[in-house]
Amino acid sequence: MPSPVTNRPVAQKPEQRALILVVERNPIVQRLERFFLEQAGFIVEFTEDGVAALTRAQELKPRIVVTEILVPKLDGLSLCRTLKSNSETKDILVMIFSHLQADDRAAEAGADAFLLKPLDEELLITTLERLLAVQMQSAGEVN
Amino acid sequence: MADRILTGCEGLDEVLGGGIPPNTISVIMGAPGTGKTILAEQLAFANATPEHPALYLTTLSEPLEKIIAHGQTQEFFDSNKVGVSMHYEDLGLMLRESGVDQLPEMVTNLLMERRPGFIFIDSFKALTELMLTPQQRRTVIYDLASVLSAYQCTSFLIGEYAQETMTELPEFAIADVVLQLMKYSTNVSEQRFLRVEKLRGSGSIPGMHAFAIGREGVKVYPRLLTPTISPNYSAKVERVNTGIANLDGMISEGFWRGSTTLIAGPTGSGKTIIGLHFITHGALKGEQGLYVGFQENPTQLSRVMKNLGWHPEKLLNGGGFDLLYKSPVELQGDTVTSEIFRRVRDGKVKRVVIDALGDLERSSVDRQRFADFIYALTQWFAAENVTCLMMYELTNLFEVHGISDQEISNMADNVILLRFTPGPEMQRTLRIIKTRGSAHDNREHELQITNKGVVVKKA
Repeated sequence: MPSPVTNRPVAQKPEQRALILVVERNPIVQRLERFFLEQAGFIVEFTEDGVAALTRAQELKPRIVVTEILVPKLDGLSLCRTLKSNSETKDILVMIFSHLQADDRAAEAGADAFLLKPLDEELLITTLERLLAVQMQSAGEVN
Repeated sequence: MADRILTGCEGLDEVLGGGIPPNTISVIMGAPGTGKTILAEQLAFANATPEHPALYLTTLSEPLEKIIAHGQTQEFFDSNKVGVSMHYEDLGLMLRESGVDQLPEMVTNLLMERRPGFIFIDSFKALTELMLTPQQRRTVIYDLASVLSAYQCTSFLIGEYAQETMTELPEFAIADVVLQLMKYSTNVSEQRFLRVEKLRGSGSIPGMHAFAIGREGVKVYPRLLTPTISPNYSAKVERVNTGIANLDGMISEGFWRGSTTLIAGPTGSGKTIIGLHFITHGALKGEQGLYVGFQENPTQLSRVMKNLGWHPEKLLNGGGFDLLYKSPVELQGDTVTSEIFRRVRDGKVKRVVIDALGDLERSSVDRQRFADFIYALTQWFAAENVTCLMMYELTNLFEVHGISDQEISNMADNVILLRFTPGPEMQRTLRIIKTRGSAHDNREHELQITNKGVVVKKA
């Protein structure tokens, strides 16, 4: 099957070469997320469950973890709490991206952002860009 | 994204409680020729923008060329949008090469390529007929639903589904909205109806709603519901004069404002002239009136009015006399009652004449539906303080065995009977049978039609 063509230019901003770890069990959503995130210039890795995500986050140290809440073994909110409570991973940005309307619970778990599915390409990319920009600004202020 | 997607189809958003919920999957079902494709394209053109384009996928029911050729006959079809915000693709052609199992994959590719805000698959049912087993059908449709739900777009699956398949086919399980289009045909006319079979997580107006298809597309006439009258509702204590000599005096100086009066009589007994009198008298006093007629066309009515010394050219052109004429052959009762209601709700109309109920009754596909409509209409008239005369044609010239079917006479506040007295010189007579909340003269009086209108002779 031929790859889909697009007339949308690939983003070239250096900060968008950031690595994003996506926790998503649905292969269809995975495929869409990979396509749109890579189009936007991000490097994307996937895991299908929360436990694997925890391991991969410790190994890869991604800039952002994007997680669905409803994933096997360790749900997205627990994954977020665990990442934020570990000194090695607490600086990884976490965005909860779920069909479950749970913005309050996401904030309570320490998430940096919450987005409700379905996937809105523009909203997803701008939210990730904003998270990275805020983090870079904070890092600059600290330095 | 808005709370609801407006359909671009007059009346349909009201039926749907505001429109189609975004990011949902809708099924538009109905027999061939019911208007599914027109409705779908109307929706697509109304919503397609460069930021949220519409993707219209044809399959194996009608070739893409035919859909476009026919679509262009509709006013909503904007050829400037095609290729910019409205994209057509022949999915059937692609699937014949790769197999129907590839449908979810193919739609995913199209989502990534086109990034549509709206996606239409027409006909989806034709596509599912390529699926050889129920298991294959279920799997492919489940995967397709996963794709459509994963991405921010509102989807429509169009198909020639029969009502009885709703409980069996998986497409109805995954659908958030199901709209059914129906058509009833007689030798001379067609009546179309739309029903919301399913609207997940939201209310809609229940029942069958008439719709018509014209060059502007589909226009829906929401079913008339009985108004919810607040506990504070109170009828206006005010009398409305008919302008007919001596008649008002027989009912304590006129009908109550907001009341409905049934005037029953055989052909030629004076119903139409009484109705014209009532509206003209109101118009001359500055009260807007609506005359709804199904027998005499506007030219014939104008001639009658001229013969009575009135000035139809002034009255009908902004002079307070509004005319709604429909040929009884083309009459669809639902659309007329909906149109009456629309004009009444605008708040200007204070008097209404419906001439005659029998035409509406005969045009209704369901007699109970007709009675329900009349009940709702009379309740709206009461709530809006609109005074109404409803004419009802009796078949017997001399003997009266009953006023009307469907207990219409029970719904009316007042009932007046017109008839002829037998004899060498046939006389017209008028008798008040009932007035609700009011005393009345219950004698039979001669009714004369003069060159100045109707006169009730004192007995």
